[in-house]
Amino acid sequence: MSLPNISKEKQLPEGCIVDSPTTEQDHMTTGGWRVLRSVIDYGKCTKCKTCWISCPDAAIKVDENGDVNINLKYCKGCGICASVCPVGAIARIPELDFEDVSVYRELPF
Amino acid sequence: MSDRTVTLEPIASIAKAPLQEQYVSGHRTCAGCGPALAYRLIAKAAGKNTIFIGPTGCMYVANTSYMCVPWTVPWMHAQITNGGSIASGIEAAYQVMMRKGKYDGDFPNIIVMAGDGGTADIGLQAISGAMYRNHDILVVSYDNESYANTGIQASSMTPYGSATSFTPPGITVPEGEKFWPKDITAMIYYGHPMVKYVAQASIAYPIDLMNKVRKALNKKGSAFIHVHTACPKGWRFDSSKTVDVAKLAIQTGMWVNYEIDEGKKTLDHVPTKREPVEKYLKTQGRFNHLRPEDVQKIQQFVDGKVAEA
Amino acid sequence: MMKGKKKFIAGTAAVAEAAMLANVDVISAYPIRPYTGLMVDLSKKVADGKLDAEFVHADSEHSQLSIVHGASASGARTMTGSAGVGVTYAFETYSPISGGRCPVQMVVADRTLDPPGDFGSEHSDVLCARDQGWIMGWAETPQEAFDNTLIYYRLGEDQRVSLPQFNCQDGYFVSHIPGEVVVPEKSQVAEFLPPYKLAKPLDPRKPYGHGPQIFSDQGPALQLQRAIVMNQAKEIIPEVLSDFNKVFGRKYDSYIENYNPNDADVCLFVNGAHSQTVRYAIANLKAQGVNVALCRIRFVRPWATEEIAEVLSQYKAVGVVETNNSFGVAGQAGVFTPEVAATLYSLPENKRPMLMSFMAGLSGEVIRLNDIYFMAKKLVQAADRKKIEKPVYWIGFEEN
Repeated sequence: MSLPNISKEKQLPEGCIVDSPTTEQDHMTTGGWRVLRSVIDYGKCTKCKTCWISCPDAAIKVDENGDVNINLKYCKGCGICASVCPVGAIARIPELDFEDVSVYRELPF
Repeated sequence: MSDRTVTLEPIASIAKAPLQEQYVSGHRTCAGCGPALAYRLIAKAAGKNTIFIGPTGCMYVANTSYMCVPWTVPWMHAQITNGGSIASGIEAAYQVMMRKGKYDGDFPNIIVMAGDGGTADIGLQAISGAMYRNHDILVVSYDNESYANTGIQASSMTPYGSATSFTPPGITVPEGEKFWPKDITAMIYYGHPMVKYVAQASIAYPIDLMNKVRKALNKKGSAFIHVHTACPKGWRFDSSKTVDVAKLAIQTGMWVNYEIDEGKKTLDHVPTKREPVEKYLKTQGRFNHLRPEDVQKIQQFVDGKVAEA
Repeated sequence: MMKGKKKFIAGTAAVAEAAMLANVDVISAYPIRPYTGLMVDLSKKVADGKLDAEFVHADSEHSQLSIVHGASASGARTMTGSAGVGVTYAFETYSPISGGRCPVQMVVADRTLDPPGDFGSEHSDVLCARDQGWIMGWAETPQEAFDNTLIYYRLGEDQRVSLPQFNCQDGYFVSHIPGEVVVPEKSQVAEFLPPYKLAKPLDPRKPYGHGPQIFSDQGPALQLQRAIVMNQAKEIIPEVLSDFNKVFGRKYDSYIENYNPNDADVCLFVNGAHSQTVRYAIANLKAQGVNVALCRIRFVRPWATEEIAEVLSQYKAVGVVETNNSFGVAGQAGVFTPEVAATLYSLPENKRPMLMSFMAGLSGEVIRLNDIYFMAKKLVQAADRKKIEKPVYWIGFEEN
């Protein structure tokens, strides 16, 4: 008795053992979840990185100059960064107010 | 115990915290998830030479949905029952493989990330066995005070007076949760003579959490860290308040950060003026139903705990 | 070819010898009768420096299995074991281990489940786990228990398979009664059994995620994958046994042993040690002019349907000896009857033997020669009359 073959499209990793990511999981973008977008006022920002360390999604990046940037591809808009910023440099603005809102609204499912 | 280990240096401040992420963006945890924040910090502190064990719970289901993992380091699913034993097996394998010359790397950090249910209830036996045998592992309990992934049911770490879907307040049980939570950190430390390091930490103090993780990993033998991880969904507060709620827990004595290192107990972040518990309770919808007599009971419990700390 | 030392040891001691020669890496132990002797022997070998392994004192059977699961996923060759309710206590772990494709070996010296929980042998404890995707088979003698240990490691660890194995033996009858065991040299074992190498272990130098949550539409492919590799195991059994014979000079049938010295046209289908009694009965019955054959199942999983059907099709009547329980099962006997029935159903109607079942040896009771004579006579009677008298007999409770 022979069993059917599993086609290439339907095939899955043997033993459900998957590759580990290196920098991000870009098939699992969560930017589309946002209702409120966090926006940094760089005039007020002191580069203390409290927002960076408090983000559950690692969605705040620090660049070579020490500036923090919110990664809109993944930011879920939870607002923790706005809450913890010691100088109130982060505001939460309704996502629908932004022109580029649709760009990050892809859902994996 | 193996000799090829790496010593992790303490982290002085946020400015000095490593930039590299071992728990990357792209996972389906709730917006503002306290446990996810803890995971990110713990992974960051542990670094590349790490194997994570993930018993079933939020940090399994939400992170690995679907057929993917957000860890750059090896990770293995465990049942909610057996994080402690899977970790024991991995540790035993590395001990013998290094001894027999089958593995030429450094001894890895082996970290179990168990929820409160998977630590104090169904996972307790396996963790106790691991601590008794003093495997060179770290067990972290991320405590969001419920079985959150299945829809917020009470665990033995749910605070007295919490509303959960197994402890809804009503005429017969007006307080909701009528049992007082287990003191798991004390159970682990005082019950297992070979465990040299236990700690309580919180997402409210990220550098402290990371340093406790590094201290625990530097120890040879078993270590246990109990992390308070606020849960916007289960505790019912706005997702932006996760860190604030965790901080308030410490300011009111509802959570205490401490460590016991080689027999020496140190309390951390002791508030200079402890706030009344009511200040903490009213920030969360799960306590909305409490009557003054329930709040008083909780205040008495906290007063007693602080007195004996 | 038959190099090595002859020892007179029981089944669990034999497995311990094999595990030592196989250079097992991680052992997880927890006591329960009647398999404990395996772990007592292994702990002594480790303590005396004869075997370099981590001997882990598990806190329960469930933890035993979890410990070897983690160890196997990391790249260690593992051994654990249990019996009776210990086997059922660990049940949660069986599918994760098989689905995770970790080739751990669990030695089961079977035992009746509670109640009554007596220490006697019954196959039910581990048979309960036959759906979980593990290789499973019984040893009839301590020699076979020794050999199965090496054979199962080789089969389970083969990268075309990568499945865990239940290395079973009848409690007391094999686990405690000594028999002759030829213990080979280490060099022979090294020739037969390559070092354990997992395809994608837990290794910080090359990271993987083991066992993420999946969505329903991803499930069927994973299940089919496991069915395919279990079938693969079936396909390579003959190759493994042929190599075994080349290295150690002992030959085993791949799927089912067909022992028919007197050209009988009825057979008893038996699992495990009670086959020994049947062999004696066959010789004695010849004098009485009654001829019966022994068909001893060698692998319960993977069950080689076509090959077993072919062997059984030679007979006019098959009597399944059930030393297990499955209350309310189809056929109202035990676990093997429906499996044999499904096997026979694959044959064309005119080649299909009659089927009857004998509940015997339950709770560790000895199956006596007289019991075998009874079974043989019922089979011969059915063959003569071309119909069975009744489908199920409970030995010891029948009138005549």
